[in-house]
Amino acid sequence: MSAIKSLNPKAEVARAHAALAVNISAARGLQDVLKSNLGPKGTMKMLVSGAGDIKLTKDGNVLLHEMQIQHPTATLIAKVATAQDDITGDGTTSNVLIIGELLKQADLYVSEGLHPRIIAEGFEEAKGKALAFLEEVKVVREMDRETLISVARTSLRTKVHKELADLLTEAVVDAVLAIAVPNESIDLYMVEIMEMRHKTDSDTQLIRGLVLDHGARHPDMKKRVEDAFVLTCNLSLEYEKTEVNSGFFYKSAEDREKLVSAERKFIEERVQKIIALKKAVCPDGKKGFVVINQKGEEKYTFVEKCGNPRSVTLLVKGPNKHTLTQIKDAVRDGLRAVKNAIEDGCVVSGAGAFEVAVADALVKHKPKVKGRAQLGVQAFADALLIIPKVLAQNSGYDPMETLVKLQTEYKESGQLVGVDLSTGEAPAMTNLIRDAA
Amino acid sequence: MSSLCKELVTLQLGHYSNFVGTHWWNLQDASLSEELGEINSDVAFREGRTIDGQVTYTPRLIAMDLKGSLQTLRQEGCLYSTNKESSPISWEGPVTMHQESPVSKNPFLLDLDKLETGVLLAQVDSSDQANSSGAFGAGSVNRQLERVAKSYALEGSVRVWSDFLRIHLHPRTVSVIHQYNHGGETHRLEAFGQGEPLLQGPVLEDVEDRLHFFIEECDNLQGFQVLCDLTNGFSGLGSKVTELLQDSYGGKGILTWGMVPVTHPDTTPMKDIYHVINTALGMVHMANNSSFFCPLTLRGGLGRRPGPPVAFPHLTYDPSLWYHSSSVLALALDALTAPCRLRQNGVPVGQMADLLTGSGRKVVSAYGAVPLPMMQGATLPDALSSCADALPWRPLSTCPDGGGGQCFAQLLTLRGLDEQRLVSRALNGPQAPNALHGLKSGEDVLASYMASFYPTGDLAMHLLSSPSLLTPPFPRVFSSDLGEQGCLQSRYLAPGAVPPTVSSVPVLSCLQSGPALGPWLAELHRAVGALNIRRLAPSFLSQGPELSEYEEALEQLRLLARCYRDDNRGAAHFSSEDSNDDSDD
Repeated sequence: MSAIKSLNPKAEVARAHAALAVNISAARGLQDVLKSNLGPKGTMKMLVSGAGDIKLTKDGNVLLHEMQIQHPTATLIAKVATAQDDITGDGTTSNVLIIGELLKQADLYVSEGLHPRIIAEGFEEAKGKALAFLEEVKVVREMDRETLISVARTSLRTKVHKELADLLTEAVVDAVLAIAVPNESIDLYMVEIMEMRHKTDSDTQLIRGLVLDHGARHPDMKKRVEDAFVLTCNLSLEYEKTEVNSGFFYKSAEDREKLVSAERKFIEERVQKIIALKKAVCPDGKKGFVVINQKGEEKYTFVEKCGNPRSVTLLVKGPNKHTLTQIKDAVRDGLRAVKNAIEDGCVVSGAGAFEVAVADALVKHKPKVKGRAQLGVQAFADALLIIPKVLAQNSGYDPMETLVKLQTEYKESGQLVGVDLSTGEAPAMTNLIRDAA
Repeated sequence: MSSLCKELVTLQLGHYSNFVGTHWWNLQDASLSEELGEINSDVAFREGRTIDGQVTYTPRLIAMDLKGSLQTLRQEGCLYSTNKESSPISWEGPVTMHQESPVSKNPFLLDLDKLETGVLLAQVDSSDQANSSGAFGAGSVNRQLERVAKSYALEGSVRVWSDFLRIHLHPRTVSVIHQYNHGGETHRLEAFGQGEPLLQGPVLEDVEDRLHFFIEECDNLQGFQVLCDLTNGFSGLGSKVTELLQDSYGGKGILTWGMVPVTHPDTTPMKDIYHVINTALGMVHMANNSSFFCPLTLRGGLGRRPGPPVAFPHLTYDPSLWYHSSSVLALALDALTAPCRLRQNGVPVGQMADLLTGSGRKVVSAYGAVPLPMMQGATLPDALSSCADALPWRPLSTCPDGGGGQCFAQLLTLRGLDEQRLVSRALNGPQAPNALHGLKSGEDVLASYMASFYPTGDLAMHLLSSPSLLTPPFPRVFSSDLGEQGCLQSRYLAPGAVPPTVSSVPVLSCLQSGPALGPWLAELHRAVGALNIRRLAPSFLSQGPELSEYEEALEQLRLLARCYRDDNRGAAHFSSEDSNDDSDD
């Protein structure tokens, strides 16, 4: 190992237990930072930079990227969060918490002499069993609007305040339903997200059409047109140099003027042809068209009341930049959650219900596992319970007490039970909170 | 003389590029007070309006840098913020604030803050001229700083480029790349292959949105100027950005300048290898995607063992300070880019490139006389006569100019000499000392002088009487024998006396395409080709490009070098016989 030091004297070297401790401490550090984020009652983080820039977020992935992480293990965990975000779009905080807890639980056994490799075997076994259990417990049902609203609301309520979340929920679900084409995978690029600085955030709305972020090019252009034709054109109408690579040297200003006006004439002829087309096609059309001039530099054009809209726009409004970013991030996560639900075709009970159930199943499965890997399975099961515990803790309830309530209720009723964050009780999860599976 | 302004969009990619860019914009800002000056500031600046209706005038600029590089600069600036910023938060639950400790501002930035609030001027004089600066007044920052008449010695305190930025930037200008860190030990953007894949997904959307914002309001966009770091991963990002510009805005000119600092802090032999590979790859790709590509640096060479840094006869700059070297480059760049920003008879960037490139010769080299040595009261013919044996400029791209001989094309800019000084005064007098003194216009003088060195080749030139104005925080890099207008003083300065502050200097700059670039590019190719990348820098290619693409790029560099052979006048040969005579290059 000292060989490395001779190559790079500044290298830090850790081996065996020390290395494990380094990894575990990184994971626990991140867990501590993100723990308070989880769930609708979690803490919003406001990050203020040295220069005064503000960012508001509860999203684990965003937080991890704002931080300058130097620790190699922490970097790996941050990458997991990124991957989670890429694939699913949400759940990044839960991910980091579970990783931290897995390592913490493993550490308990390692410190008693169990080899990490055996624990890892146990984890693998547990993972397989947990996935199988998920298949049994998931609820396959028709993804009707009600169900989707439930899914979207779960995600959105963890990111913005309740009234706004409920408003956004409908908009988000309707947006996805509007662009979903049967038998094709949902292309979320068809949902454009535009931001507009506005007094209040509760005017965010779904536009069944397009909002373009530029306005009229000339003050004489009409501000409102109904039943309009829209011409999409891939010709350039600008004065620009020719395709041929040529330079020209001119002796006088007059020569140059002649060349320039010859170029211009070409473009002017094009414009005349377009005007002629317009006159020929005139009056009836199927599209409505409205222009709004906002004060300041940001101008918008609304194209609405389209006959058959294949794309929609979610117009996010907010009083300042950090609110707009917060809402936009939330909307993106919500859209992903709805898309996942539709494409998976199933949901699962949220509020920690699934975690309690799977932990119980794993404990029951344990005896079937050979040897000391059983302890790894136990560690995995215990690790998953971090989710209901933290949810309860963030709402101000005692995590252990709540956990016991949940486990008891589950054993007695056989139905999935989750944490009701307003009461701390453990009701059966029939129609309440749904998570995307 | 089009009445439509030909707008230019500037992109600065990377920390050193932003250093040069910051000095360059400060120089533009210093000249803003001139109504109808020779340079049309609307080319590079844009007028805007905040929500409250205040008029703003900010650069048409997109500046990209890494996480942690901004320090005191707010990403969106303070020009467009309103008082309603801090209040509503979209969350009813608990909020914890994580606040970074505020970064300390140097005296210059503190004075700028005081200028904003009118405090500084009140301190300077209590007359009634306290124009509240509001958002903008033409050249107001400049005039106000002049009245304060302080000079700042920022050499020790400049850490990042925003430490000496004098102007406000538009909120859509600064783009921070969160995937990589500016400082620290991990996640540095060091390899070409890390920069290329950056331009996709959210980063690509962000760049496209900013480009759309600045471009859509242009009436007659002439093109882009791109300043890009060449020695780090930004070279990869630059290659993709220029590709994007070329694909989306094909007809517009793209001038790309590759920036190389003289030294890198904390460099290691491994990093030096990375620098030279990044330079080669960046040059090949960006030259391909741009109208022309010109490296700009005061380093002695682009390889791993360069010569000493470029020394100018009347400059005393510290080459190890980025704050200094970037200021000299910015001053030269102000002259090099002047032709596309002229109010009358401007040459759009596309045409500037057409003048110099042809048959694939996309790389051009730059030279500058910073300053052009002139005695106080002398004329241009006098000054050039005293440089009859050697051209008065130094290489700004590390490429030696060969001292004359063959040249394909040149574009010269001379700034800072007014009309009377361009020609000799004694026109009708006794026999002129030499041919230059008999000529009747500045253009003829310069053309005749250049012809004595380069008898063939196309020559275009622009002579501007207005010099670049050097106001704080431009560093004091001029030697004490220069006077206030940048001319050599004939009298000696008494020991202990303070040399006058130089407020402008005459500058002669040149962009050249000639056979001298052939061996220079071939040398770069040899230096990189000799590196066994798999053995010496095994992780360089870990994130791309593929080894075959890497070798393909090196081959393109070799072919690019051949485009400059004088006998061909540029036609690249692809026949197999040529590959045999590599040895006698």
